[in-house]
Amino acid sequence: MKRLLLLLPALLAAPVVARAHDYPTSGRVEYVLECMQKHDGKYEFLYKCSCVIDRIAEAMPYEDYVAMSTALRDQSLAGERGGAFRDPPSVRDMADRYKTIQANANQACHVQQR
Amino acid sequence: MSFHTRLIRWWPCLALAASPVFAADSDVAQLSKDPKNWAMQAGSMNNQRYSELKQINSKNARNLQVAWTFSTGVLRGHEGGPLVIGDTMYLHSPFPNKVFAISLEDQSIRWKYEPKQDPTVIPVMCCDTVNRGLAYANGKIFLQQADTTLVALDARTGAELWKTKVGDPKIGETTTNAPHIFKDKLLTGISGGEFGVRGRIAAYDPNTGKLLWKAFSTGPDKDMLIDPSRTMTWTDGKMAPVGPDSSLKSWQGDQWKLGGGTTWGWYSYDPQLNLVYYGSGNPSTWNPRQRPGDNKWSMTIFARDLDTGVAKWVYQMTPHDEWDYDGVNEMILVDMKVKGQPRKALVHFDRNGFAYTMDRQSGELLVAEKYDPVVNWASHIDMKSGRPVVVAKYSTDKNGPDVNSKGICPSALGTKDQQPASYSPKTGLFYVPTNHVCMDYEPFQIEYTAGQPYVGSTLSMYPAPNSHGGMGNFIAWDASAGKIVWSKPEKFSVWSGALSTAGDVVFYGTLEGYIKAVDNSGKELWKFKTPSGIIGNVTTWEYKGKQYIGVLSGIGGWAGIGLAAGLTKGTEGLGAVGGYKDLVKYTELGGVLTVFALPDR
Repeated sequence: MKRLLLLLPALLAAPVVARAHDYPTSGRVEYVLECMQKHDGKYEFLYKCSCVIDRIAEAMPYEDYVAMSTALRDQSLAGERGGAFRDPPSVRDMADRYKTIQANANQACHVQQR
Repeated sequence: MSFHTRLIRWWPCLALAASPVFAADSDVAQLSKDPKNWAMQAGSMNNQRYSELKQINSKNARNLQVAWTFSTGVLRGHEGGPLVIGDTMYLHSPFPNKVFAISLEDQSIRWKYEPKQDPTVIPVMCCDTVNRGLAYANGKIFLQQADTTLVALDARTGAELWKTKVGDPKIGETTTNAPHIFKDKLLTGISGGEFGVRGRIAAYDPNTGKLLWKAFSTGPDKDMLIDPSRTMTWTDGKMAPVGPDSSLKSWQGDQWKLGGGTTWGWYSYDPQLNLVYYGSGNPSTWNPRQRPGDNKWSMTIFARDLDTGVAKWVYQMTPHDEWDYDGVNEMILVDMKVKGQPRKALVHFDRNGFAYTMDRQSGELLVAEKYDPVVNWASHIDMKSGRPVVVAKYSTDKNGPDVNSKGICPSALGTKDQQPASYSPKTGLFYVPTNHVCMDYEPFQIEYTAGQPYVGSTLSMYPAPNSHGGMGNFIAWDASAGKIVWSKPEKFSVWSGALSTAGDVVFYGTLEGYIKAVDNSGKELWKFKTPSGIIGNVTTWEYKGKQYIGVLSGIGGWAGIGLAAGLTKGTEGLGAVGGYKDLVKYTELGGVLTVFALPDR
C-alpha cells in the first residue's frame, strides 16, 4: 500500500497521450492506399499518409470521419446529385470541418495537398 | 459445375444451333425462376427484387465477409447491377459502357467488350453518364449504349451480332436505361427530358434488331399507339376511354413536339395479361408557365400490349408538372389483397412522394398515399379524379418565373428516384430506399435549341426540416393500407436498389458506401463499408452451393471513387509490398463490385 502511494505522484505527473478513436484497420488502410496513390505510390508516403489518418482518427470517431469525408468527396459530383452535397448548410459544414482537419494533418505530416 | 448441371441450365440453347433464334419465347423468364441465377436486372419480370435463397439469414448475416471484388475501370456513377446465369457473371459499366463476362470460378475475365462512342454525347447527358445494366436472352447479351446504340453480343464470346441506333444525340437524345426482354421482344426507351426530347418506348426483334413498334409519350393518338375509344384512364371514380387527341388537347400549340415524357426507368411485364408496364418522365421545360395544360401523357403509368404496343390503360400522376417529378420509377407487380379484395396489383413509388397501388389489369386507382410524411406540394390525391390537390404556395407556376418558391417537399430528385424498391411475398411489405430532402425552386424563361439543355429552373436542396436532420430513410410500406410500417433514418439519401430474401434479410446501400442488412423489423444486422458511395442495386445468386450478395460501388467523379480496390501498374514501385501483378489481370481502377458470402465452415 505504501509503495502504491509513493507511485501515485509519478503516475499523475506522466504526460497525457492523445487517444486515437478506434477505426477498423481496413478503414485506415484504405485511407493510406488512396493517399499513396495520389503521390505516385512512393514508399515514403506509407509513413506520411499513416501519420495523417492517425491524426484524423485522434480528431474524430470513425462514424464522423465516414460521414464528413463523404460530404466533402461528393460535393464534386455533377448536376443535381452534387447539389445534395453542395446546397444543404449542414452538409457544407461537415465538408468544411473535415477539410480543415485533413489540411492540418497533412501539414503536420509533411504531405502536400492533392 | 458438372457437365450434367451445365446441360440442364443451358438446355434451351443447346437444343438449337450455334446462333439461337427466338421461338415463341425467350429463355430468360425460365432462367430467372431459378434462384441461383439473377438473369435480369430486376431479378424477375414482376420487378419484386426478391430472392428465394435463404442460406444467408437474419441470424448469420452479421458474419458476411468479402468473398471477391471486381473493378470496372470507370470513374462514373455505377447504377444497376450484375447478371448471373449459371457460372458466368455479366457486368456493365457507365460510359464508355464496357461489358465484362466474368467466370464465377476464379473471377477471370472471359471476354470484355468496349464500344467506341463519340465522347461528345457526354455533355448531353443531364445527370452523370450512368447505365442501368445489361439484358440476357437466348445466348445473347444486350447493351443499350449512351449514344443510343443498341447492340447484341454473343454471350459466349462477346462478338457483335447486330447493332442499331434508337435515337440521335445531336438533338439531345441519349440512353441510360437497361434493355428488357419480355417474351420474344426487346424493349428499350430514351433519355433527354432536359433536352426537349420526344419520349417513347420501342420494341425490337432480339434476333435481328429490327424495329417492331414504337410508342411516343406525347402527341397524336397514332404516334402514341392510343386507341381513343379503348385506351382507358381513371376518370371520376371509374375507368373511361381517354377519347380522341387526349395528349394534343393537353398542350398549347406545338409544345408537345418538345414534350419530354422520356422512358429511362424500369419496365415490368405480366405474361398472363401480356401487358408491359412503365412510366414516363417530365414534360420539357422545367418552367411550367411555358407549357400550360396537363401535358399528357408525361408523368404517366402506361400499360401496353406487348405484341402491338397499343395502350390498354394510362394514369397520369402529376398533371402539369412544376417540380420535375419524373414518373419513370419501377412498376412492381404483386398479386395481393388490397383493402380486403384480391387484386392483380401494381405498386409504384413515384418521385412525387405518393405511393400508388393500381389494379394492373383494369387500371383502377386503389390507393395513393404519401410515403414520406413531409411531402407537401399536394395535400392528397383526390381518389375520384385521381388528381393531386396542389398546395398553392408550393406551386412554382402560381408563384411564377423568377420567383423563388421555397420549402417544397420533396426536392426535384423526388422521394424516390430510379433506385428500385423490393417486395417480399413472405412479409407482404415493400422495402423502399428514399430521399428526405426539400428544395427552393426558381423557374426562368428559356428558348429551345436542339442539343442544348432545355431546363429553365435553378434549385437548392436541403434535408427535410423539423425531422431527424438526415437526408434519407429506408422504409417498409404496406401498399394496401397505404402506410409506413417502419422507417430507418439515414444521414444521406438512399440511392441504391433494395433486395429482400427468403432468409428474412433486406439489403440496401448508402452514400457513405455502407452496404447494410436489416431484418424484417428494420433492425440493422450488419453493415460493411465499400470504397465508394453505393447507387447500384443489391443482387444475390448462388454458385457451387454458396449464396453471394453483390453490389456496385461508385458514385461518380474523381473524388467519389476513393480507392477502388485497384493498385495500377503505376504503383509497382511498391514492389517490396509485392504481389500486385495478379491484380492487373483481374481489376482495373474505378467503380467496384464487392461480393460477400458467409465464411466457410
